[in-house]
Amino acid sequence: MKEVELDCYGEACPVPLVKAQNKLKEMEVGDVLIVQIDHSCAMKNVPEWARKEGHNVEVEEIDDGEWEVIIEKMK
Amino acid sequence: MGIKDNKYYKEWFKGAWPYLTGAILLSLFQIVTLVTTGNPWGVSGVLANWGAWIFEAVGGNVDKWYYFSSEGAQRTLEGGLLNHGGSIRNIGIIVGALLAVLLASGFKIKKIKSMKQVVAAVIGGLLMGYGARIGFGCNIGALYSGIASFSLSGWVFGLFLFLGAIVGSKMLVKYFM
Repeated sequence: MKEVELDCYGEACPVPLVKAQNKLKEMEVGDVLIVQIDHSCAMKNVPEWARKEGHNVEVEEIDDGEWEVIIEKMK
Repeated sequence: MGIKDNKYYKEWFKGAWPYLTGAILLSLFQIVTLVTTGNPWGVSGVLANWGAWIFEAVGGNVDKWYYFSSEGAQRTLEGGLLNHGGSIRNIGIIVGALLAVLLASGFKIKKIKSMKQVVAAVIGGLLMGYGARIGFGCNIGALYSGIASFSLSGWVFGLFLFLGAIVGSKMLVKYFM
């Protein structure tokens, strides 16, 4: 089980979502992807997509206007 | 208990409001705009005036430009920023958006990541600005206010907005990521 950080700071929608989708495809079940974002609309669409796909998702506020979306690949 | 943990603070200021709430509020406010000013809500047309004022401030002259040739347009330009309702409204949008992120303590100055991002932003901005003027409106003036006024043009604008968005997204993924 490995943990991968995906730096999406400074990137606007839909770039963080597309990057997260591509990255997660390369990963194994049980791996954890941490998407780092500072664009508030990515805080909505990245967790929404991951939950719909059936993965475990948690959002953490790191700093003012910075979040980490933690996705555990479930399938 | 700190204000950060207050239930109403979280609900009203911190978290995003549902899309439906936003849609209803926008609709109500654009009705207020139409009733009080006699004109439907628009955003990008105002930016053309801002551009003209900046151009005049550095010594340019737009008197002969077709776009600004009507009497109304000339009067607006002569009246200046503070006498232009649309400008005040756009300033209000900017100040309001800033206030909203500050209240949610979400303010951050974002880094520019790469030259590609700059190029994409400049090309995108120019295309949007040009398109909005040549199409007599942006997604607010032409789409939103168009549809709200029962105008077929709003729906046509919307259809091609979708087609453009599909092409734009494909290009974004292919060339700018």
